Amino acid sequence: MIKKLLLLAAVVGFTFSASQAQDRKALRLNEVMVTNTNSITDDYGQHPAWIELFNSNFGPVNIRGMYLTTDKNQPKMYSIPVGDELTEIGKRQHVVFFADSMPNRGTFHTSFKIKPGQTIYLYDADGISLIDEVTIPEEILADQSFARTQDGNGEWKIRKGTEADNDYITPSSANIIRDANHKIEDFKKMDENGFAMTIMAMCIVFSSLLVLCLCFYGIGKIGSAISKVNKMRSQGKVPTDLGSVRETEHDSGEEIAAIIMALHEHFDAHDLESAILTINKVKRAYSPWSSKIYNLRQTPPTPTRK
Amino acid sequence: MFSDFLLNNLRQFWELTGFANAEVGNFVMLAVGLFFIWLAIKKNFEPMLLVPIGFGILIGNVPFNTSAGLEVGIYEEGSVLNILYNGVSAGWYPPLIFLGIGAMTDFSALIANPKLMLIGAAAQFGIFGAYMVALAIGFEPDQAGAIAIIGGADGPTAIFLSSKLAPNLMGAIAVSAYSYMALVPVIQPPIMRLFTTKKERLIRMKPARAVSQNEKIIFPIVGMLLTCFVVPSALPLLGMLFFGNLLRECGVTTRLAKTASNALTDIVTILLGMTVGASTQASQFLTPQTIFIFFLGFMAFIIASSSGVLFVKIFNLVLPKDKKINPLIGNAGVSAVPMSARISNNLGLEYDPSNYLLMHAMGPNVAGVIGSAVAAGVLLGFLA
Repeated sequence: MIKKLLLLAAVVGFTFSASQAQDRKALRLNEVMVTNTNSITDDYGQHPAWIELFNSNFGPVNIRGMYLTTDKNQPKMYSIPVGDELTEIGKRQHVVFFADSMPNRGTFHTSFKIKPGQTIYLYDADGISLIDEVTIPEEILADQSFARTQDGNGEWKIRKGTEADNDYITPSSANIIRDANHKIEDFKKMDENGFAMTIMAMCIVFSSLLVLCLCFYGIGKIGSAISKVNKMRSQGKVPTDLGSVRETEHDSGEEIAAIIMALHEHFDAHDLESAILTINKVKRAYSPWSSKIYNLRQTPPTPTRK
Repeated sequence: MFSDFLLNNLRQFWELTGFANAEVGNFVMLAVGLFFIWLAIKKNFEPMLLVPIGFGILIGNVPFNTSAGLEVGIYEEGSVLNILYNGVSAGWYPPLIFLGIGAMTDFSALIANPKLMLIGAAAQFGIFGAYMVALAIGFEPDQAGAIAIIGGADGPTAIFLSSKLAPNLMGAIAVSAYSYMALVPVIQPPIMRLFTTKKERLIRMKPARAVSQNEKIIFPIVGMLLTCFVVPSALPLLGMLFFGNLLRECGVTTRLAKTASNALTDIVTILLGMTVGASTQASQFLTPQTIFIFFLGFMAFIIASSSGVLFVKIFNLVLPKDKKINPLIGNAGVSAVPMSARISNNLGLEYDPSNYLLMHAMGPNVAGVIGSAVAAGVLLGFLA
């Protein structure tokens, strides 16, 4: 019993730690601004440099206890405070840290500043597992950001903050702003009558079931050959090849049914049986609730006259 | 003064009642609900589904003052009905139903004769045929995909997909899917007769070979891995379907399989049917789109049944003479289990009283369940 509990605890513990690690491993450094004169302000009305993190999971992740640093030899430079509910990032959401070297100003103010050429590292709560890193280019100018082309993945590019596509600066929001589902727009444009979808989808459905069909055709052949080999061995015969094995396969469902019916007739079996004949193990666990003796009443003693 | 207070409160109470808030649409939907209940009880059309859906329609269409903040409506966040409806809107009831279906289904017929899987694949053409028609009518691709899945004849799959692609159409799609599933005995036989000759209807198929326990255990594991590697978006449905089947076949989890196939399925069916019914509020349901959805669902069923039968006819051209398939089992490629297999059997018996097609038809029938889940995964992958 203790062994089972220990095993269960180990499995639960492993699963929990694995899921935690999996969640945090999907965090990404997403956008960085070094010299901020016109971009967002903090709660104090200042324009500090900022670092944006993105949760690429489809579930919330709490980043408390994780580390941000600019020095790989000092991974625990800034610890993201624990005890603040705001450290939980919603699914596919962003959070911005102000790199102003003023950690006393709140949870999202780091203990370091950043400058061009530096590398920013994001470490897990153990201070050992590196989750993401980015090196800020030397040529980045004031009010320009260094951002991923897509949230959570894609290349890093300098954004100048112009109105051109994918050049705007987006602290705390998606790096690409979409006003429609591009997949549906593509289908509307390229596949007006649905032929492409039909061809692709039917090919996928057919190939999935065809693979399954071939697989079970093979498994069936192998299975029946193995069972016949075993059968022949148990009868003391030595099969020469699988072909000879296949030839002995005669037990069709109809034959089995005919044998059963013949036995039925032979033993003069009746349609209505008082008991069930089964090959399953019948187990009746004892319980005082089902015990016969509790259902029996004692015969009342006959009164005797004195 | 006191009388004013009394009258004022009574007037306020009157404004909360269904009588004060009733509109024509509510009465129309109440009539639809009553019709469903009548169909289920008097005509025995899918009573397990139509009674909960029909009564759900009654629940969902009792009018009330939505601005009173009573938190009773299915679309009011935090209400009891809304909490129960989460299984539909978030799409977790359908996978639980699939778990039960897996635990109930014997895939032996399919394992014994794997080529029948292709009939289950061919019948999915109903989905994509309806998709093309839906696009032609003017639906958006995601809406068309959600509507077209009705052709898979699988209620849980239709609910699952529509909750992801077109949540606003889910009520109409679900009711349409279940209605046509109930009408399978009416829709399919004329199509089967139309596309087959008398000679074809008399084809006798060889009895299936016995399937070993090991094959039955391998099937859900390999089936899940193969299909889900191709279409991971169908993982919730296929994963649960094959998991339920493994519980059934492995022989060491009889209790779990029994629970999945009986108690759990019954509970989820009750909640699913009732909440789907309740989601068909008149304001959401009585729209011209609903009429189109019913029309497209009908089209999808016809195309699916026809393509299954026609595929068998084409397939027979390449099969050896002693391995021909009776095209009457082609209709069973839609996943209305076991209704469409029974129809194949009954129609076969009509033409040859000793030609039992039931077990042969169960092959494409359960393949249809897998096929429609794969098709749903494909649509989800392309359009979500």
